[in-house]
Amino acid sequence: MHTNLLLSVPVRYWQDFQDTLARATNANIYIFDANGAPFSRFSLPAELCREVNKGRELHNEKCIDFYKLACGSLEEKDMLTCPYGLKLCAYRLGSHAQRIGYLMVAPSRHTTLVEREEEIAFITKAHNIYRTINEVFSAILEKNLLGLRRLELNSIYEISRLMTSIVELDRVLELITNSLIIIYQADLCFVGLREGDKIRVAQGKGVHGSQLIGKEWPLVHPLIERIFSKVEPSSLSIEELKVLPGFTGTEAAPGTEIMVYPLWTALGIVGLLGIAAPASLGDNGSKNLQIYINFAAVALANATLIRRLEREAETDYLTGFLNKRVLRDVLAAELQRAARYGYHLSVIFLDIDDFKAYNDTFGHLAGDVVLQKTAELIKNSIRTTDIACRYGGEEFIIILPGTKGGDAAKVAERIRKSIETYPFPHRRITASLGVAQAKKDDSVESLLARADQACYQAKEQGKNHLYLEPS
Amino acid sequence: MSEIIEKRIGRYETLLREMWAASSKYLGTFSVNLLVERVVWEVSLEYKEIELLQFDQNGISCAKMAARLEENPDLPVEDMFMKFITRYVEILARLLGYERAEEIKKKLDEEFAGDPFVSRGDERWRG
Repeated sequence: MHTNLLLSVPVRYWQDFQDTLARATNANIYIFDANGAPFSRFSLPAELCREVNKGRELHNEKCIDFYKLACGSLEEKDMLTCPYGLKLCAYRLGSHAQRIGYLMVAPSRHTTLVEREEEIAFITKAHNIYRTINEVFSAILEKNLLGLRRLELNSIYEISRLMTSIVELDRVLELITNSLIIIYQADLCFVGLREGDKIRVAQGKGVHGSQLIGKEWPLVHPLIERIFSKVEPSSLSIEELKVLPGFTGTEAAPGTEIMVYPLWTALGIVGLLGIAAPASLGDNGSKNLQIYINFAAVALANATLIRRLEREAETDYLTGFLNKRVLRDVLAAELQRAARYGYHLSVIFLDIDDFKAYNDTFGHLAGDVVLQKTAELIKNSIRTTDIACRYGGEEFIIILPGTKGGDAAKVAERIRKSIETYPFPHRRITASLGVAQAKKDDSVESLLARADQACYQAKEQGKNHLYLEPS
Repeated sequence: MSEIIEKRIGRYETLLREMWAASSKYLGTFSVNLLVERVVWEVSLEYKEIELLQFDQNGISCAKMAARLEENPDLPVEDMFMKFITRYVEILARLLGYERAEEIKKKLDEEFAGDPFVSRGDERWRG
């Protein structure tokens, strides 16, 4: 958030007010923002100021440096003398917690205020000006802050409604990071999800956000342990975060803090959420953000659980391959794609030879080991773009997009050899493989039936064979 | 509505609609709505009239703004819209990354040749 955002006042209206006040009190008024940069023009500049700055705005280098330094070192109020000998009263506007700017009051004509009485009168006048201006700024700030809180609450209400109705994890992550960056104008926002014994960054937005995606932080890392040792957020500097992968090369201005919220639900740790600490948050703002974070934790927990259930429903537990249930959908999609873009598609049907006898002789646990190892050998023999499924029992299907029957046969032969030569426990294991290339107007059923038939032919040839269906 | 007013408002309305459509593609309408609401609030601190901008899940309209401009031709719509667009694109850059925001900026530059809409992000961050 911009330092001066909440003090967003139309300068042209403010200048009118400031000039009227200056005329009424016969004093020069000058206001600087929280960074010490000029906010308005001199109201009633002493001749000397106008002369050295050539007008009502600050141009003189000496003056600019003087005011910058004065603002930077000012505690609450002070009596200062400018480089040209003009005495002025300086005040900090706002509070210690929320510094909103600085006020300089100087006599409207050049005077060194040598007379004690004259000095006391001027200080009293300056103090009255300060009280008036501070009151006005506080009122503006309060009004703007209320507007921001209302915006936050409305947004949280809308988002909480939406989050409880969305179950897709990617959309929930997108919604959380987008809305936090928008509402709080955060420079950085990221969400890490718990995956076993580590936190994996699933989404990152803002400055350097994309660099964090995919980075893994072990739960036993001292910094991560520190974050999860309490329910409240941890305020961490970039220097502290640099011990985590993804933050290593990041540099930020001193004082940049990241609030890292542990995400908990009744089920335990869901993950963590980091946000570049929004300025001007205050007590109510912190509570609003915490409410939002609590909703986010529940929405992420739900979406994560649903994604896990979906994955489990699609995956064969033993081999990690897709199961028969989703095979039809995947193959139908690949057939459509092949037809649309005019590329080849082949399917390998693999059956482990005499698996029933192996199971009956050496037991189901030994049989499971064979299935797992066969799956691993298949996985090692295919491309990442190929899709392997466990069709049932000891049967596997491998879908090879963009592959002609002849090339698929080479892959099948590679698989057959790797199974044949692998030292399985108890005895040698072999497999029969049938290969079929998709034809125009093939359906899932017709293609699978032809691949099955080709596998049958391979068995007929004496097992441990592959058979390529003639095109 | 007079032709001059229609012209003054029309170009901004077209621009805002383009921005809306381009950012919805990447962010979805909910986030874009939230973004507009945020920027309207921020700009309203200086220009109350920005609250006349109508927006919902279907897009943006400047009809009420045009009616107000008819009553008060001195309304600083140019300043107001420039501020709105600048802030909008600044936040958009954080959400989409500077490359995608740059694509949107290009569109704006074509419409408003030479106006600097996008700043290069927060100077507090490097690396």
